[in-house]
Amino acid sequence: MPSNVIENTTGAPRAGHAQPLVRARAVAKAFSGNAVLHSVDLDLHPGEVVGLLGENGAGKSTLMHILSGGLTADSGTIDLAGEPVRFGNVGDGIAAGISFVHQELSVVGALSVAENLYLGRFPRTPFGFVDKALMRASSKALLERVGAGALDPEQEAGGLRAGEQQLIEIAKAAGRQPRLLILDEPTSSLTPHEVESFFSYVRNARDAGTAIIFITHRLEEALGLCDRLVVLRNGAIVSERRPAETSREQLIADMTGKPAIYDYKPRTIDEKTVALSLKNVSDGTHLEDISLEVRRGEVLGLFGLVGAGRTELLDVIHGVRSVKSGQLTLNQQHFAPRDPSEAVKSGVVLVPEGRKTAGILPQHSVRDNAAISSLRRFAGRFFSDRSGEAGRMAAFAKSLGIRMASDTQPISTLSGGNQQKVIFARALMAEPQLLLLDEPTHGVDVGAKADLYTIIAQAAERGLTVLMASSEVPEILALCDRVAVLSKGRLAGILERAEMSEDRILTLAFREH
Amino acid sequence: MNTGLSTLKRLGRHREASVLLMLFVVAAYLSFASEYFLAPRNLLNIGRQASVVAIVALGQALVIIGRGIDLSVGSVIGLSAVVAAVVIRDTGLESVGLIAGLLTGLGCGIVNGLLYTRLKINPFIATLGTLSVARGIALLMTGGIPVPMGGFAEFVGAGRIAGIPVSFLLMIVLAVVVHVFSVRTVRGREIYAIGDNPKASRLAGVDLKATRLFIFAFCGLLAGLGGLILSGNLASADPNLGVGYELDVIAAVILGGTALSGGRGSIAGVVIGALLMALLNNAFVLLGISAYWQVVTKGLVIIFAVALDGLQRGSEDD
Repeated sequence: MPSNVIENTTGAPRAGHAQPLVRARAVAKAFSGNAVLHSVDLDLHPGEVVGLLGENGAGKSTLMHILSGGLTADSGTIDLAGEPVRFGNVGDGIAAGISFVHQELSVVGALSVAENLYLGRFPRTPFGFVDKALMRASSKALLERVGAGALDPEQEAGGLRAGEQQLIEIAKAAGRQPRLLILDEPTSSLTPHEVESFFSYVRNARDAGTAIIFITHRLEEALGLCDRLVVLRNGAIVSERRPAETSREQLIADMTGKPAIYDYKPRTIDEKTVALSLKNVSDGTHLEDISLEVRRGEVLGLFGLVGAGRTELLDVIHGVRSVKSGQLTLNQQHFAPRDPSEAVKSGVVLVPEGRKTAGILPQHSVRDNAAISSLRRFAGRFFSDRSGEAGRMAAFAKSLGIRMASDTQPISTLSGGNQQKVIFARALMAEPQLLLLDEPTHGVDVGAKADLYTIIAQAAERGLTVLMASSEVPEILALCDRVAVLSKGRLAGILERAEMSEDRILTLAFREH
Repeated sequence: MNTGLSTLKRLGRHREASVLLMLFVVAAYLSFASEYFLAPRNLLNIGRQASVVAIVALGQALVIIGRGIDLSVGSVIGLSAVVAAVVIRDTGLESVGLIAGLLTGLGCGIVNGLLYTRLKINPFIATLGTLSVARGIALLMTGGIPVPMGGFAEFVGAGRIAGIPVSFLLMIVLAVVVHVFSVRTVRGREIYAIGDNPKASRLAGVDLKATRLFIFAFCGLLAGLGGLILSGNLASADPNLGVGYELDVIAAVILGGTALSGGRGSIAGVVIGALLMALLNNAFVLLGISAYWQVVTKGLVIIFAVALDGLQRGSEDD
């Protein structure tokens, strides 16, 4: 049992709402004997935005599923507007006015935006046909409320960006007029502009009396938007704070039980040796005339807003996307991979964005997942080097701090952060010269994030060249020696360490907008 | 109902073991129900029948593990047999004919692979197309009339070594080779990887196109070999040879525990699956049940096997 002291600096609930909308008392839940929540007490008031923070595995989603009806608590009580409730399923929760917007997108690609918004409850004409006119008009209004007024309700949803699909999910929840709205990492794929208009929707909903739970890993957003911040750690609430009275550092300490996650340390860079160079590279669609050089042992950040071409640039270097014009060199040699298999052979490896879709081999063991990029490197004349793999895996499990029962267990049984470490092990096991990282800490908790930062920094110390695409400025500031900023497919500028600041990075990122 | 479902799910988890168990149950039942079942002659016949299905299923298994499917194997069996027989008839050179037959199978597989990797045609549709084209060519070449087949192919298809059918021995040897290939070599392991998550495998450096082309080419080659054995056994290359074989082959692969969704399966399971299919065929003959029921049962077996797979995956996904 964790011995956590609850610090409460928030005092009395917001004036005017004496009775909480939700009053959870001593809620506990265990899965096959493992306690995930120990006796959690939580009050949520109408017209309040509560930020729920915590590492992955802290119990956030279990608690939210219990509140919304997806799971049933083992013990404890939940009162909704003073009445005790016990939901059997998600439908009960929705009927009681609780909407849960999940992090995973569930937009149906082949349907229009409007059809997605009214899926399962299409309005009908007196003849029993779908009332398209009504659906279109009310969809437009809904989209405008959440800050997505630019979307055409008739458009097919599958063609939209992840961020736009996320806004559709939010509009769908908003359309149900919930009393309690639970948002699980709603901003992870939104552009800064979309985040702003989404925040104003959240504030409006709050002012209209909705209680809102906002789950995020982005502490700046939590501090800027929320009225109260609740931190969960190991299944218990460890602190409740007001944004005005706390700081990023304090929250990280609450979440991890440790102080600050990572500070930039200057490292020795081989200034004279250019590991990778791009000269006037265009791909004909997303990238235009990009020229840059990465020096050996350097961590070069690649920043840009959604759609700026970060992933596309990495794809060009990794051989996923072909170059239309321009030249690449790797260690002063002409470099033009036609396929990732060629890039990997040349020592260029990628930790891709989207661990589930593009990273893990879900049915394979941890060890097989780690070995897949280096099978050819270590193979003998006929056979792959199975016995050597065990040793390499053990070494990387130790140096990267991968927590697992055995390296033969399926990777899908590990936590997200540990899975990501295995993907790092895969990349490093191939003994690369250039490590490409695309949102390397996306969706992992603060503890794993700190570990990954250390792993990246240590790799660079050993002379590995790193090109890291990220949409999080704090991450760039924590790790990178320089940053190249893309704006709408063009290189907006490169900032040296001394010139790097959140302001300047964002200014460059918006240059072409 | 609920306990029935969970029993099925549990069965699905240890597929090789459960299919082996089914094999023994059917065999035990038949040994009581028919006095001929345990006769050496009958057992060897079962082995011979199973061997062609099993050999082609080895190739099919790699295709399905790599998240593809090859519906054309039955027609490739027919075309390869016909090409070999016609070349032997016209040139009088047996070795040239046999090689031509194998190359025909390989060529069909390469065409399937190229349709998939270069023209981006879904393998289900691409191989459905070659199924029809290959059968049509076999019929055109022969005018629909079977061509005699003999010599070495007859030895492989109908001959025996120390009393054991040559085709059965060949199947065992190939199964061992393919098993070792699939678990020990780089290419073999990459097949499992692309079946599990093609996008992740590609980004990790697996050559997706080359691996896919390889499995289809290999499957075609084994279907060609199957055609030579089958026509040798019958001493005749019928242009309609192998009609409906894709069903037996895919059933053997799925029964043996290979996931239709890719990434999972074992060669041992495939061989057991093929033996079970042959045993079921034999059961109908021995018990004197109408051959039409055999057709119905084959379909039911496939549905049953895929349902096992679906239930098992369902319990993981939901």
